[in-house]
Amino acid sequence: MTQNKYKILLVEDEINIRNLVATVLETEGYQTVHASKCKTAKMLFASYMPDLVILDLGLPDADGMELLRHVRTDSLIPVIVLSARSNEADKVQALDAGANDYITKPFGSAELLARVRATLRNNRFSCAEGRLPGGRFTLRELEIDYDARLVYLEGKEIHLTQTEYNIVALLSENCGKMMTYAAIIKAIWGSGAGEGNIKKLQVNMANIRRKLGDKPGQSNYIVNELGVGYRLSE
Amino acid sequence: MKRIKLKDVFITVLALVGAFGLSLLFQHIFDVKEHVTTVFIFAVFLVSLWTEGYLYGVLAAFLGTVAVNYAFTFPYYAFNFAIPMNLISGIIMIAIAILTSALTTKLKRHEAMKAESERERMRANLLRAVSHDLRTPLTTIYGSGTTLLENGDAMTEEQKRTIVKGIKEDAEWLTRMVENLLSITRIDSSQVKILKTPTVLEELLDSVMLKFKKRYPDQQVKIEMPEEMVIIAMDAILIEQVIVNLLENAVQHGKGMKNLSVRVFVRDNKAVFEIEDDGCGIDPKHMGTLFCGYYTSEDEIADSQKKNAGIGLSVCATIIKAHNGSIEAENLKSAGVVFRFTLDIEEMSDDTE
Repeated sequence: MTQNKYKILLVEDEINIRNLVATVLETEGYQTVHASKCKTAKMLFASYMPDLVILDLGLPDADGMELLRHVRTDSLIPVIVLSARSNEADKVQALDAGANDYITKPFGSAELLARVRATLRNNRFSCAEGRLPGGRFTLRELEIDYDARLVYLEGKEIHLTQTEYNIVALLSENCGKMMTYAAIIKAIWGSGAGEGNIKKLQVNMANIRRKLGDKPGQSNYIVNELGVGYRLSE
Repeated sequence: MKRIKLKDVFITVLALVGAFGLSLLFQHIFDVKEHVTTVFIFAVFLVSLWTEGYLYGVLAAFLGTVAVNYAFTFPYYAFNFAIPMNLISGIIMIAIAILTSALTTKLKRHEAMKAESERERMRANLLRAVSHDLRTPLTTIYGSGTTLLENGDAMTEEQKRTIVKGIKEDAEWLTRMVENLLSITRIDSSQVKILKTPTVLEELLDSVMLKFKKRYPDQQVKIEMPEEMVIIAMDAILIEQVIVNLLENAVQHGKGMKNLSVRVFVRDNKAVFEIEDDGCGIDPKHMGTLFCGYYTSEDEIADSQKKNAGIGLSVCATIIKAHNGSIEAENLKSAGVVFRFTLDIEEMSDDTE
């Protein structure tokens, strides 16, 4: 496999899942180190300095959320949360606490690797597919000119309102990352804006999707996760 | 609980006034007064039957006795409790009131218990069906795992691939089953009410189609929905499960199915969802028990894939019922079947939390 020497800290107490994830990652050339407890994970995090943490939320000695908060106190190292909880509230909580992404168990190896790749890339370039020096963003047929605040689809300019543009720009800067409703609302309308703005966000989102030609079930630019948020898909 | 109910007071007054009036009428027209006691007994009976608890029945009996004594027995328009006949009819009225009230109270309690035991029975049925169905894929997974571990060396690459594919498919099946079970616990755990959030129809369908396409990449699904933005209050995860279940049901059971479609339209402030296929349709004799969760287990279908249909559909029914909606299936004249469910589009306040 290609030499990617990314180091990944894997925090998971289920030995079978740990073996599986480690095997999948190692066949792709990643280096892994494992911890099964919150305490050892904290130690390893400090000494091993990983490029990415994959974290299971249900740990025997402490909630994974605690480790997440510990990591986020002084580090921006990406964290992917592994969660058996299919509850949206838990996902939102993890994302808002600083997790970069989450994977719900059960998951396939392809999904796992895609998320790992996207998260590492995002963190390195701060945006996927390369945010070019000229302040442009390109994703398939979608192009954003950050300086001119213009969005092009298949070479043609599409007309967005200021708010719509701000949302698209925000998602593109976090391309591939799931952005929660609260995070988007805070970034677009300011931290004073409450949850009540969800409807405003939904209406803007519907307009954006229409303008981007997104149709339900097709490989769309903007992917929504019900009850969680939106992601500009790669 | 023990609040005086206006309805019960109203019934009591109405019944007594009615009895009084009727008795007066009889007395005037036919000049008979033997029926008076019977008329009042009937009134007391009705009051006991239609009101809650003992209070109103006994009260009516007492007032009835007084009224009969005062107005309809000698001496007229005066009280005289010395006559044994009057006393006896009074006691009979009170006895009837107490007995009827006891009976209706018992009946109501019985009904509540019956509903509860019906729920219990459905749950037990589901559990039995599920645990039975779980064994098949587990057999594959367990057997395949041990085979690969113990005899893996002697197998060809091709054989190994087949076995591993079996593990993957049955694990996928198990995942779907668990998702359905989780949906049910999600309803049970929030006993008061499911948590509805305003959901954009387009986003719901997008999410549904992403899930469905992951499982059946080759199946085309036609989608029709209103042009304008529709927001429906729902537990989106549960409704997503319903639509995915219905689509999956069409793929697995609609033999010869070519076209599959999801159609959503708004009628009378309700969102109507129709999932339609042009497969073989549903045997009319199964129509009645379609959503009960066990119709397939009585059929002799050995294929485990077929068996989760009943559970999937009963989960759909449970979810829609929890949303106060309705769900039905209808065989089409042309071919295939349409599953239709409705959800209320509630007027939502701006406070969405």
